[in-house]
Amino acid sequence: MTDHDHDHDHDRTVKPMVDEVTDFEVLEIALRELCIEKGIFTAAEHRLFTEFAEQIGPTPAARLVARAWLDPDFERLAVTEPMTASKEVGVDWLEPTGFGTPSDFTAFQILADTPTLHHVIVCALCSCYPRPILGNSPEWYRTPNYRRRLVRWPRQVLSEFGLYLGDDVEVRVQDSNQKHRFMVMPVRPAGTDGWTEDQLTEIVTRDCLIGVALPTPGVTTNVVTATRPATHPVGE
Amino acid sequence: MSTAAERASQLALVARLKSSYPELPDAPTPDLLDHARFVAYMKPVHDVGGEPDAPMKYENKDYEYWEHMTYVICEVLAWRGIWLSEERRRIGNVDVQRAVYLGFPYYGRWLLSVARVLVEKHLVGLTELTERMAEVQQRYAGGLAGTTLRAQPKFEGDGSGVRRNTHIVHAQGKGDPQVYAGRAGTPRFAVGDRVVVRELPVLFYTRTPEYVRGATGEIAAVAYESPAAEDETWDIPDAKPEWFYVVQFTMAELWDDFNGPAADTLRTEIPERWLRAAD
Repeated sequence: MTDHDHDHDHDRTVKPMVDEVTDFEVLEIALRELCIEKGIFTAAEHRLFTEFAEQIGPTPAARLVARAWLDPDFERLAVTEPMTASKEVGVDWLEPTGFGTPSDFTAFQILADTPTLHHVIVCALCSCYPRPILGNSPEWYRTPNYRRRLVRWPRQVLSEFGLYLGDDVEVRVQDSNQKHRFMVMPVRPAGTDGWTEDQLTEIVTRDCLIGVALPTPGVTTNVVTATRPATHPVGE
Repeated sequence: MSTAAERASQLALVARLKSSYPELPDAPTPDLLDHARFVAYMKPVHDVGGEPDAPMKYENKDYEYWEHMTYVICEVLAWRGIWLSEERRRIGNVDVQRAVYLGFPYYGRWLLSVARVLVEKHLVGLTELTERMAEVQQRYAGGLAGTTLRAQPKFEGDGSGVRRNTHIVHAQGKGDPQVYAGRAGTPRFAVGDRVVVRELPVLFYTRTPEYVRGATGEIAAVAYESPAAEDETWDIPDAKPEWFYVVQFTMAELWDDFNGPAADTLRTEIPERWLRAAD
């Protein structure tokens, strides 16, 4: 397209290529600058929390479940003292402030599934989620749609994730609407005899820990994989 | 600079934004507004559980830089004693009202709550905030053009005079709700007790979902002590902690149209003030 020699008006047919800064971006930068200038927080504090937030993810939670599957003593610890069990997979719920990540509080519970009981979590009021051990929640978990429907039509919603449970399994919805944070400890699936902790960790996906999927040998990805890209992502 | 036509066009856009019952005129006379609609208007907008909705495609989303930075600034403000988490949850999830609640991206509301709390607590003046926004807008007038988004504070201020809450001192090394342990006396209910969720009038804020109010459930756990959300959200200094309970409901009893197995259940957390013993 080097010889560009026709007479249509590009201004009308092609969007101008200005990489616009959005209202949200402007507001965030303005607020952060003013907070630092007023000493409301320091740049160092902001950086420290940013670094903390960048390293959280679902791996410790997956490892916790895998270890519980292999060690009955650890399984008991996970259910009775979940924050002590968290420490053994590297998550201290009091970090990084000395009183935890403020939005997540420090009242963690692990909901143990059985062959006749299946848990699934939601926060119908906002998006309460055990961030320190699971990382940030997926976008769909925060949608009004999931929050509206899961508390009322849980089996229909689960079926949209490809999860069909029989009538002999009690579905128990946990609406985490106050200070408790929950994650699900699914039942160890068949076909994993002799597996190592690392192998088991791989099949405990984030979706299994929310309760919208069951761990399955050979499945190491979440059910929902479609991902909307960011215009100005982190790290650019 | 906008043209008169652009201003008119934006006003026309705003006028199409509907957030009230279409069967009533705007600002209806009192006789036109019944109790059910009063309750609907007063319902904290975050409380969406059980509202009818059709299936949609669920997606993941990569973070915009500003979204990540917004999460961080909110947490740092709580860490440094500017607000309690419960203040943030009200300001960003409820005070924004229905149009913004449903119309904004998730972290857009978080960001708005930062501006709101700083202005309301007299930590940042609204004029200096909007002036700074104009300055940042000007800085990026030509778009990003290959550069990155960057906060450029002109200096680091002395924060010794900034008013901070005492929560960050008391909760240090303990956590929240542990910081309130031992302050609510004897719990009124025990595991296995049948309870009814009271139907208290709701103004401004609660975290007791509408969908369980009036329903009968069973205490599944005596959870922890904490001020109730209705008090904590205003950072009331002497708010008395009370017991919270995990209450279990049977889905078939909770929902009129539930057609799943009789054994299915739902659990949610409710503070003591909202519960009474079932007859």
